Amino acid sequence: MAITEARPVARPEPFGRRLLSWLTTTDHKRIGILYIINSLAFFVIAGIFALLMRTELARPGQQLLSPRAYDQVFTEHGTLMIFLFIFPMLAAFGNYLVPLQIGALDMAFPRINALSFWLLPVGGLTVLSGFLVKGGAGASGWTAFAPLSVQGGAGMDLWILGIVIVGVSSILGAINFIVTILRMRAPGMTMFRMPIFCWGVLTTSLLVALAAPVLTAAMVMLFADRHLGTVFFDASRGGSPLLYQNTFWFFGHPEVYILILTAWAIVSEILPVFSGKPLFGYRGVVLAFLMIATLSFTVWAHHMFVTGAVELPFFSATTEMISIPTGVLFFNWLATLWKGKLRFEPPMMFALGFIGLFLVGGIDGVWQAAPAMDFALHDTYWVVAHIHYVLFGGTVFGIMAGLFFWFPKITGRYLSRKLGIWQFWVQFVGFNLTFFPMHILGLRGMPRRVADYAANRGWTGLNTLETVGAYIIAISMVLFFVNVFVSLRKPREAPDDAWGTSNSLEWATSSPPPPHNFDRLPEVHSLRPVRDLRLAAQGLAGEEGSS
Amino acid sequence: MRSTTLRRSLRGLAMAVAGACLAGCTQQPATEQAQETHRLFYITLALATLVFVGVEGALLWAIVRYRRRRADEDEGPQWHGTNRMILLFFLIGTVIVATLYPFGEITLARVEQNPQSPEVIDITGSQWQWSAFYENEGVVVSGKSFVRPLVMEVPVDEPIHIHIVSNDVMHEFFVPAFYFMRNAMPGHPNDFTWTPNRLGTFQGQCAEYCGLGHYQMRFVVRVVTPTDFMAWVKQERKAALSINCPQTSGASVHITAHNISWDTNCIHVPAGTQIALTITNDDGGIDHNFAIWNGIDTAHQFFASGKFPGVATRTETIPTLQPGRYYFQCNVHGPAMSGVFIVGNPPSGQKGS
Repeated sequence: MAITEARPVARPEPFGRRLLSWLTTTDHKRIGILYIINSLAFFVIAGIFALLMRTELARPGQQLLSPRAYDQVFTEHGTLMIFLFIFPMLAAFGNYLVPLQIGALDMAFPRINALSFWLLPVGGLTVLSGFLVKGGAGASGWTAFAPLSVQGGAGMDLWILGIVIVGVSSILGAINFIVTILRMRAPGMTMFRMPIFCWGVLTTSLLVALAAPVLTAAMVMLFADRHLGTVFFDASRGGSPLLYQNTFWFFGHPEVYILILTAWAIVSEILPVFSGKPLFGYRGVVLAFLMIATLSFTVWAHHMFVTGAVELPFFSATTEMISIPTGVLFFNWLATLWKGKLRFEPPMMFALGFIGLFLVGGIDGVWQAAPAMDFALHDTYWVVAHIHYVLFGGTVFGIMAGLFFWFPKITGRYLSRKLGIWQFWVQFVGFNLTFFPMHILGLRGMPRRVADYAANRGWTGLNTLETVGAYIIAISMVLFFVNVFVSLRKPREAPDDAWGTSNSLEWATSSPPPPHNFDRLPEVHSLRPVRDLRLAAQGLAGEEGSS
Repeated sequence: MRSTTLRRSLRGLAMAVAGACLAGCTQQPATEQAQETHRLFYITLALATLVFVGVEGALLWAIVRYRRRRADEDEGPQWHGTNRMILLFFLIGTVIVATLYPFGEITLARVEQNPQSPEVIDITGSQWQWSAFYENEGVVVSGKSFVRPLVMEVPVDEPIHIHIVSNDVMHEFFVPAFYFMRNAMPGHPNDFTWTPNRLGTFQGQCAEYCGLGHYQMRFVVRVVTPTDFMAWVKQERKAALSINCPQTSGASVHITAHNISWDTNCIHVPAGTQIALTITNDDGGIDHNFAIWNGIDTAHQFFASGKFPGVATRTETIPTLQPGRYYFQCNVHGPAMSGVFIVGNPPSGQKGS
């Protein structure tokens, strides 16, 4: 059933030529790989920052980092993880997979695609270069609340500039995805025959296109307040610090869904493959995605309950409402597993881990949706626990699921199953050790973003435990990188349909795919064209219709 | 057989978790408002446990029960969700949210009540210290950046009205045992009420990241009996009035601002002469000035220097003042940077006029 014909092995090109071809590529697959490498590089840097923080907080008193250094490190940890790891990592999957999944030759605007990638390392290094200037890197937290962010030296300016560059990159990328998905689908690939992953990317891209410009606006105002004499956020001269928060969170809450929606889509793509079943309610999931995206623009002020300056019942209601479509996703995932024939390959394990952990992040958020309770939990370690259950337990487990799932497609080689299973369990244990106790610390009143804490508050034991957990997570990541390194040295052995039970079009071409993606495009009659091919090869009829 | 064992062990686990949590997770609430929030916490915990056990249980069940047997190469059953099932999914979530939301709103209404209160405290946050001005008692207490926390006392069983503002960046006044935090913002004061109902000493600290000294921006609230509170007020007043320091020999004074604090809380100058005042501002980029008032109520200002950012030094002239005790502060930072300005040798307690 190979759709791609065997082709002669190309002679290896000289290194300089090969490097140049990577630097100038407009091939969405190569750009996707660049996105992955770049994101993982920033993931490692931001992860090291996390270890530095955890090491400092293991015991009360100052050991490793001065408060000044700690403030920079926690700021850059958040900034890099959010803007330069998760955000572009999900875009990496989108870049590599969307054209393949919809049966397109490339993205709609290949050169803009290259531009939006190359802006990323530029933006990231701009942020990091703050460490080299007098006064150090930006140290106002990843949220950079004014008026604190109006203080600070050149590092803060570099931070603002870096964020603007990354913002431009993501806006360009989002527009590219939207146009690609709306205009480049193969014949027969109707919107409701698109893999659920593409719906995730489309919804995310709509969010980015609408929300990221608002972030840029906040950054421009901040820069103007710092250097051009404006007073947007200066209360003593008629401005308001609330303006910054309203602007930032109007971006910042859709942002949270930007950071998780594609991971939901990855998991929704993987569960059916390893359950031997279709996604239970495809249209229900699409509907849930769209509802969440819409609602996400109405909840921003739940980050501002404690300012005493927002309409509490309204934002509390919209926030709790968003859990309704999120619940629909969970029911769909469980129903997809139900009575299936589950195979526990590493992608499936990470996807199942995702469900179990993201659930905790969903539930502990409900506490904070009630303003009265938020008054007790906001800005404590409870919030740190919540965001990490969502973005690590959720998104990072989803990303790992995706990497293990598509690695054979991208490289033609499988990641080691054994190492993958080890990594999963080490990561699972380390993650829960690190982040679950943060709930309890939050309840005991430990505020976030503190460089140190008093020894007599009863916080020490749990902090030490969390630090141990953080190093266990680090071990799991080492296992991952070892796995990648080892697997890349193995011969290519993955067939087109690497897992044998795949559904979507990327599995119809060779692993890795040729530069032009498909030699011959299979006909698309249903949501699962590759399954149709498989059944046809067995002499069985595939499914007709759209879902 | 196996399913009952599983169910029983799950139930046991849930109870163990809840039991452990009741003992150690939450603190004993110390205000009437905190009791409401504390109750809401456990109502939410009950519902959350239900959802958690339900979903994780179903997940574990699927993992154990539906694993593919060896040599089974067939697909699973190819059924999809019907529209009715999807609708049901939406309904389940709606019911849960509709159950929970009213509890939150009821609690919110109780926590947000602002009853009339004779006890009004103005809290001011600045980088990186808190100060408290008791409006009716005329008492001011303040912490000092990196040196000591603010220590304030409040009477038990009385609504305490707090009016809070910041004079630089965003801060947050947070007492964990009161289950409450509220931003101190520049230009946008906030008001709320605590009714402490438990005697004790409660630790608090700034919860909104506010820069270098954030982690040290601590304060202590002592909830005491009304009698003890009166005694404390009296003592603080007396302490303020009895602040004394030796008179400077010449007609010049030097004062330094560092970390939003003056280097002294008492200046004593000779009567009948102008004073050359030298102000050193060590706080880079932060404005300070030096002003002399009648008292903490700041009804009449006798002198105010120009406001200027650090790091810089300026000299100005204070006009001749009547002998007496005055109050000085930085007008930008208020009571957080204040002290006594004594002219001549007035009898103890006599205010300047």
